[in-house]
Amino acid sequence: MRFPTFLLIFCLFGPSRLLAQESTLDDPSPHSQALLISETESIRPGEPFTVGLHLRLDPGWHSYWRNPGDSGEATSITWRLPDGFRAAEIQWPVPETIPFPPLVSYGYFDEVLLLVEITPPSGLAPGDAAVLEGRADWLVCIEDCFPAEAELELALPVRDASPQLDPLHVRLFETARARLPASGSEWASFARANERFLGLRIDPPDEIGPMFEADTKSLWFFASDGDVIDHAAEQRPDWDGETLVIRLARSGFARGTPDTLRGVLATRGASAGQTGLAVEIAAPVIIAGSTDDPAAAQMAEADGAPSSGDGRSGLGLSLLFAFLGGILLNLMPCVFPVLSLKVLGFAEHADAESGAAARQGAAFAAGVLVSFWVLGALLLLMRAAGEGVGWGFQLQSPLFVGSMAVLFFLLGLALLGAFEIGLSLTRLGGLDPASARSGSSGLGRSFLSGVLATVVATPCTAPFMGAALGWAILQPPLETMVVFTALGAGMALPYVVLSLSPGLIGRLPAPGRWMETLKQLLAFPLFATVVWLAWVFGLQTGVDGLTGLLIALLLVGLLVWTMHWRRGIGRRGGAKVTSGLAAVALAALAAVALLRASRLSPAGEAVAAANSSSNLASDSDSVDWADWSPRAESEIRDAGRPLLVDFTAAWCLSCQVNERLVLSTAEVGQAFAEHGVALLKADWTRRDPEITRALAELGRNSVPVYALYPAGEGDPVLLPSVLTKEIVLEALETHVPIVSR
Amino acid sequence: MHRSRNLLILAALSAAALASAPRLMGQGANPTIGAAAPAFTLVDTYGNEHSLADFRGDWVVLEWLNYGCPYVKKHYNSGNMQGLQEAYGAKGVKWLAIVSSAPGKQGYYEPAAMNEMNEKMGQKSLAVLLDPEGTVGRMYNAQTTPQMVIIDPEGMLLYNGAIDDKPSSRPESLEGAHNYLSAGLDEAMAGQPVSVPTTKPYGCSVKYPG
Repeated sequence: MRFPTFLLIFCLFGPSRLLAQESTLDDPSPHSQALLISETESIRPGEPFTVGLHLRLDPGWHSYWRNPGDSGEATSITWRLPDGFRAAEIQWPVPETIPFPPLVSYGYFDEVLLLVEITPPSGLAPGDAAVLEGRADWLVCIEDCFPAEAELELALPVRDASPQLDPLHVRLFETARARLPASGSEWASFARANERFLGLRIDPPDEIGPMFEADTKSLWFFASDGDVIDHAAEQRPDWDGETLVIRLARSGFARGTPDTLRGVLATRGASAGQTGLAVEIAAPVIIAGSTDDPAAAQMAEADGAPSSGDGRSGLGLSLLFAFLGGILLNLMPCVFPVLSLKVLGFAEHADAESGAAARQGAAFAAGVLVSFWVLGALLLLMRAAGEGVGWGFQLQSPLFVGSMAVLFFLLGLALLGAFEIGLSLTRLGGLDPASARSGSSGLGRSFLSGVLATVVATPCTAPFMGAALGWAILQPPLETMVVFTALGAGMALPYVVLSLSPGLIGRLPAPGRWMETLKQLLAFPLFATVVWLAWVFGLQTGVDGLTGLLIALLLVGLLVWTMHWRRGIGRRGGAKVTSGLAAVALAALAAVALLRASRLSPAGEAVAAANSSSNLASDSDSVDWADWSPRAESEIRDAGRPLLVDFTAAWCLSCQVNERLVLSTAEVGQAFAEHGVALLKADWTRRDPEITRALAELGRNSVPVYALYPAGEGDPVLLPSVLTKEIVLEALETHVPIVSR
Repeated sequence: MHRSRNLLILAALSAAALASAPRLMGQGANPTIGAAAPAFTLVDTYGNEHSLADFRGDWVVLEWLNYGCPYVKKHYNSGNMQGLQEAYGAKGVKWLAIVSSAPGKQGYYEPAAMNEMNEKMGQKSLAVLLDPEGTVGRMYNAQTTPQMVIIDPEGMLLYNGAIDDKPSSRPESLEGAHNYLSAGLDEAMAGQPVSVPTTKPYGCSVKYPG
């Protein structure tokens, strides 16, 4: 009971003057009493004054705030005022939380003074008395409730003099005013809404921040409206630098998202009517991931790609990024050697008629585009069949990886000059003037080289393509195909531009010996690609599989040598037949070796173990990655820990680079430990529908994806596809503040 | 190897945690509008079991009931609630009143006493179901009495919330009130989507044990 003693005495022995003026009611108001009182002894025409509905409650009973919480009813006053009088809204002191698990109400115990400002008309005649009348309705509850009501009547003399404060009520009004929340409407704040939560972010002024900070744990946000937040849910106030972050679970009875989140933020002291701090907050609500979401905008900037975390990035942006990604593909180590050769073809025939070059360019572009259409159609077909696939799915098949290794091996040998047959594929028909002029066959080769360029490009998902393809795969088929077309157009563009500009071709150095040297040097990026593909193949199929692939490569080498030798022996019939048969046998054997090897799978958990140990060989102590699974993820998130999920695959080059140069360094590992970030690795080297689904939920369909989940239930932040230590450290600072406990 | 064994232990632990989770977190879970309504089986005041699944093929209304609550009294003393029960009962709607009050708390009656109360109040629902542990109340996020739920013949939850838009215990508030339950039922039974699928319920808190 915090009822002031003097007032209690006053009520028992109060002068009759007051009893006559202020009428309380009989007993339609169980366990409580209501009285209308005025702050001033008199009123002056036109000058606003304040009255208060004074509710006094039996010990243990409570009445309700403007939002009663899960149950109950706000106190209301129905005024019957003299003509020209206006009553403002009730000014509500900060309430208390009143738990009845699983429910929570907001209200007041013991007593409360609800202030109302009344404005009398200026034409009021002094000398009379103004009589304010009305009815108060409130609900009084302990756990069971009684509706209560009181007729209110208050007569106040009208004088043409400055009203004097009523000494009997000064302290009551003072106390009530002290319990009103201060205005925080000037404070920078906003709330980020996703389906389940409203993340309220408030920047208190410098002088107030520390006061809140000292009492962070006791902070509570009382929403003004009843159907916005779950009143009983934990709020977990915490600091993100100077910003106070409060996570509010959304109400199960909410319809839509409010434009503004209104309410009162109070320390426990303030809500218990003691010393404390309380402010009115009106925070604009931003839908998470929308264009006006600062976090999303920030990520888009950092990523250089549309933030597709929620699949909202539009067709236009996806097309642009697919197009840029296609252009970048030309610089990838697997494509560059092949395309360089074609450019050399131009150099050699700078003098050839320009129309021919343009035709070749068009044929090449057609080859690229058709290949991308085939890839896109394949992806759509598999998607329609319900298969969990994504960009890079080709590389999830060991047979494809092994065949690619053989192909790159052959291309490398060809560049070294071991044989000539395959090499013509990479020509623009330019190295051979006869075919350049012969038209159709040259064009056919250009078309085929476009196909080849696309095929060899598939392992190298350019960083820009993740978002575009992730978006594309979730779209209707037509839009998926449009995005793939943009990708192909981007990839074909540099070559087509070159073929259409005789001026540019003329600038290429004159043909000469350097071309042969360059050609041979370019074999080595291709062999490097073979090493990498073999490693991927080994992860997919184990040591036996890898050995099978190496045997296949050995047989292919022997085959190439046999063919070469055979060409050198002239027309010696018997040897020709024998070597021909040997070549066929070698090819068959190589094929069998490859087929058998690609059906093997590594013993037990070798994929995960090999991948993680090799990735983390440099620093296994400070960085401890566990294997991702939906359950592992929800375990960690339910425990409220921040989490980084690394969506990776052995065949993804940028993934490997990021892991080696950034994620597994001691510096970053230490930062992970300091911020308490749990680390999960989702390995997409082989097909895994669960990982595909998780990627789709993030709006992506390719790797790498780095999803950083802040502590609690916030939305993940997607880090850029190309990581630096600075990016990771900064993201940790911003989204996973170190909690000092 | 070591790591994978740890993971196995972690998985086993989390499986155990998941298995015990429903009991630990009976609260705060919100049934999803448009998804399957949570299944339940409760005994009525005559000892007969009723499962939600038994009503597949019928429209179902759930009403949270507490005769001691002034907001419930508003709807029963005026005959408003019984009128709705009768009108929709005649259209084949299966109306189930559920009492989630714990023994000893307001609104709880032993079955025989509850039958007397039903008689006295002119209860017109198909059955009054007893949920003294509050299990079903929590499943439906029942916060107040009254609180109303509509379930379609396929067992989908179509509405959960207040009975009308006048959160008051005063009888005169019935006049001009917009009844969300009858509006929703009329729309749904006419094959229309329910335009207001949820509202914040009002009234007395459900008197859960604890």
